[in-house]
Amino acid sequence: MAFLVLPVVAIFVHVPPGRLIDQLSNPIVHDALIVTLRTSLVAQALILLFGTPLAYFLATRRFPGRAVVVTLVELPIVLPPAVAGIGLLVAFGRFGLLGKHFGIWSLLSFNWLAVTFAVMLVAGPFYVRAAIAAFEAVDRDLVAASRTLGASPLRTFFRVSLPLARSGLAAGEAIALARGIGEFGATIMFAGSLQGRTQTLSLAVYAEFDRNFDVALAISALLVVLSLAILLTLKVSVLWQPSRQTSPSLFARFGSS
Amino acid sequence: MTSSRRPVLVALLAALALVAGAAAATPAKPKPKTVQKPLPPPVTVFAASSLTDVFPAIDSRDTYSFAGSNTLATQITSGAPADVFASANTTIPSMLYAQGLVEKPVDFTRNTLVIVVPKTNPAEINDVYDLTKPGVRIDIANSSVPVGSYTLQILKNMNLTAPVLANVVSQETDVRTVLTKIALGQADAGFVYATDAKTVPGQVTVIKLPAWAQPKVTYAMAVVTKSPNQAAAQGFVDEVLSKAGQAKLQYFGFLPLPAAPKT
Repeated sequence: MAFLVLPVVAIFVHVPPGRLIDQLSNPIVHDALIVTLRTSLVAQALILLFGTPLAYFLATRRFPGRAVVVTLVELPIVLPPAVAGIGLLVAFGRFGLLGKHFGIWSLLSFNWLAVTFAVMLVAGPFYVRAAIAAFEAVDRDLVAASRTLGASPLRTFFRVSLPLARSGLAAGEAIALARGIGEFGATIMFAGSLQGRTQTLSLAVYAEFDRNFDVALAISALLVVLSLAILLTLKVSVLWQPSRQTSPSLFARFGSS
Repeated sequence: MTSSRRPVLVALLAALALVAGAAAATPAKPKPKTVQKPLPPPVTVFAASSLTDVFPAIDSRDTYSFAGSNTLATQITSGAPADVFASANTTIPSMLYAQGLVEKPVDFTRNTLVIVVPKTNPAEINDVYDLTKPGVRIDIANSSVPVGSYTLQILKNMNLTAPVLANVVSQETDVRTVLTKIALGQADAGFVYATDAKTVPGQVTVIKLPAWAQPKVTYAMAVVTKSPNQAAAQGFVDEVLSKAGQAKLQYFGFLPLPAAPKT
């Protein structure tokens, strides 16, 4: 337990909080924060948009080759980030498989879109895997009951499956968000590192590490605070219930049926 | 089972004995005509990325760690187990010497800066002034890395700092990453050492930079003070400074040190 906690605590103990807050106004930190927020928000939005239906499809349908598809979707989880970076280069690079057509490469090259791609590739599978498990855990009888009562498949998805899978989806999204913010290897290989354009908080820590250690520490502290905020927000949101649910209390415990 | 295995075991032992006997029986190798100095025991060398190919060619037995010189210096400051530190400039070793982390640094070779473009030259760069064309994607190392700071110096000498920096799309942590991105065609042009460009001849085209604008690129190396193998480390330094070591450096494209001043 101490082993897990000590490195995090040490970050805050090493630098006095006043200096930490000072560094936050440093343009390097400021720019890195903007890049990270922009790329993370877009990447996570796309992950949710495309990952949720994909996970629902894989969770509720059985077809030949399903196991292969699920394995392929989960592959980036075990892939070393550097390998993901190389994969992106040979797929979307200037002379890459897809990159050399349709001006795709010049659209992506060395800008925030490239960072977003890298984040989606490494973080997306975490969400999809958790979402598949969450949708699989939804009681089929409830879905069947909803359909029997006349609800369309789409309505059933939004009114029954999605709310019931919500805590699993939220947990998966928390991991995907954290993984996306921490992404380094694939980003630096594919998108490069330039302050204000592609240098995320993780890349900034690395760049400042042997240039100005105080700034690296300040960014690390910022990242710890961000990660804590993500974790807490998602834990709280899972507890929250809309008033349409059975219990009248706003903060009712999230129980099963 | 064991009874059928035993003959096999005996046969193996016999074969081993035969080979050992044969080795012992061969006459001793004839003494080489030139007297060779005994090689120093292998050491751990932290060296700049641009030395990736030449150092193992000088001495293949040592353990090498290649990275940006500033990254290696940070590692040594944090206590990394290096015996020798070789940097692509003289400032970093001098800084470590002032901190008491290394012994007195010694210059061991020189280099020059060049521009490299992908073989297909998609942005049609033919000289350094073409780098100021709008939309050109330039890759350089960040300013803490020696090659990055040399790049800024040469741009300053040529009065091209602002227009070229406006086209920079990425700042890497060592020179070989810049080279790789150019070789892959990811960027349109990059600043590397002349010696790096030689390692990927078919994939990049070199554009020379004027000699009058070149900064003084001098490499220096030093024995790490905390090293437990001081004598061996000094042996490695001597190897690099020896005639054979210097010849290898020049074979790879490094420049010789200026002749010693007459004192």
